[in-house]
Amino acid sequence: MGIVVRLMRKVIHTLFPPGYSLLRWEALALFIALWELAAWLSPSWPSLLQKVLPVLWSDFTDPEFCQAIVGSARRMAIGYTLVMLVGISGGILLGRLPIVDQLLGSLAVAIHAIPGAAWVPLSIIWFGMTEWAVIFTILLGAAGIVIVETDTGIREVPPIIRRAARTMGARGLNDFWFVVVPAAIPKIVGGLRLAWAFGWRALMAGELLTSVSGLGQRLNQVAKARQLDQLLALMLLIAAIGIVIDGLIFKRLEYEVRVRWGLV
Amino acid sequence: MSQVELKNVFKSFRHNGAALEVLHDINLTVAQGEFVCLLGPSGCGKSTIINLIAGLEKPSAGDILVDGKPVTGPDASRTVVFQDAALFPWLSVLGNVEFGLRMAGVEPRQRRSRALEYLRLVHLSKFVHAYPHQLSGGMKQRVAIARALVLQPAILLLDEPFGALDAQTRSVLQNELLEIWELARPTILFVTHNVREATGLADRVYVISSRPGRIRDAQAITVPRPRHAEDPALQAHQHKILGILGEEVEKVFREELGETVHFPEAQHDAPPDQSRGMHI
Repeated sequence: MGIVVRLMRKVIHTLFPPGYSLLRWEALALFIALWELAAWLSPSWPSLLQKVLPVLWSDFTDPEFCQAIVGSARRMAIGYTLVMLVGISGGILLGRLPIVDQLLGSLAVAIHAIPGAAWVPLSIIWFGMTEWAVIFTILLGAAGIVIVETDTGIREVPPIIRRAARTMGARGLNDFWFVVVPAAIPKIVGGLRLAWAFGWRALMAGELLTSVSGLGQRLNQVAKARQLDQLLALMLLIAAIGIVIDGLIFKRLEYEVRVRWGLV
Repeated sequence: MSQVELKNVFKSFRHNGAALEVLHDINLTVAQGEFVCLLGPSGCGKSTIINLIAGLEKPSAGDILVDGKPVTGPDASRTVVFQDAALFPWLSVLGNVEFGLRMAGVEPRQRRSRALEYLRLVHLSKFVHAYPHQLSGGMKQRVAIARALVLQPAILLLDEPFGALDAQTRSVLQNELLEIWELARPTILFVTHNVREATGLADRVYVISSRPGRIRDAQAITVPRPRHAEDPALQAHQHKILGILGEEVEKVFREELGETVHFPEAQHDAPPDQSRGMHI
């Protein structure tokens, strides 16, 4: 047993070096233990190892289920791409042009203040019960934070960096593209990481309410059918995808950027 | 004609609504190719003088002339080495040194070869592709020096460049700076609060008092290079400067810490060959 754990650790540590480990294994073990304890105490609570995980496993053999995942992934990919485009360019415009900031700055903050799920009704009115309603929900649920963080990053470039650049002849657009924007990258990456989390929530809310085929819509189905084990399996999957994408891509990216920018 | 000239320069900053005078009636000149040190205790405004000549700040009154023309803003002919290097963390060592050339529109191949040439000059050829966060403090300052020199400035401004380094590294870099200066002969203005550093490097030392900064003394140091700390002529300079600054340092401490601080007499009379009192 000890050897297996050590071997697993070694593999895990090669995949995820310390500094951005995905999950603490002790925490995972505690989680499973508490879950099983609850299942043992309450007959209505399904066992994780005996019930929920096997259900999740068999779900993956269901082609409809796999299509739902692919559908969700596609909407998230389109939505998140739009979030990056709109968020970064919007933040750059706000940070660069005082007039745009005065006119639209508080609008970006207001959009950011509205939870993703609250955009679903408006999205349905505009786009109907379609995939685009879901994508629009992701965009409005997640672009605000990227705009705000990009804008902040551009405003908060360390003065010494600006001064050094000016003494070497940087001005105007050159100064902006080669100094201000790169200096803002840690903030932008931080915003993108948060936007992933917000976007993922918005995706679920959108699918839940529009009944476009996807993971969110399946939540709705199994809840209506009172299939608790199915519901828990889905929720675990949703959490796992959120954690894994954040850990593998965003947490890692943010960490590496912070190291290079000398912020760690 | 002197290359850099400050005429009756005053500078005040707004601080909590009140005007705080940092420079009072500064007059100084630097000849072409000269190595001049500005020496004074912390808070005496010597960095402000550098910023004024660099064009990063404007004087409240008075004229700052370079080659007889008033300074209106920063220019790549007057480059600055800052105390904390201020490298761009997103660029490699090479990228940092190429930066000014890129701003000047030099084509990629040429700017690369020129950057490499200056990196060789500061002995960083092995670290061309490293990033600033991987470098020690001394190496960062080497990059900062290469980055400033690659633009072949007429005037090189150094703002306590070696202040944060250990004594060993500082002395190595001082010698290398002198070698580079002999080679390229830019005009150098070097700010320091270290008496030994100033007298070891400069052709002339301006001694600046604090609050507001005033020029208290200017000493021409004619001791030929390479100089040795034990040289009696250097020690005489150091002793004289410490005498002038001793009162100054005491004044600063009294302002900052109140009247409770006791200054033993010996502090002013410490022989300059002891490191005590060398850092003011």
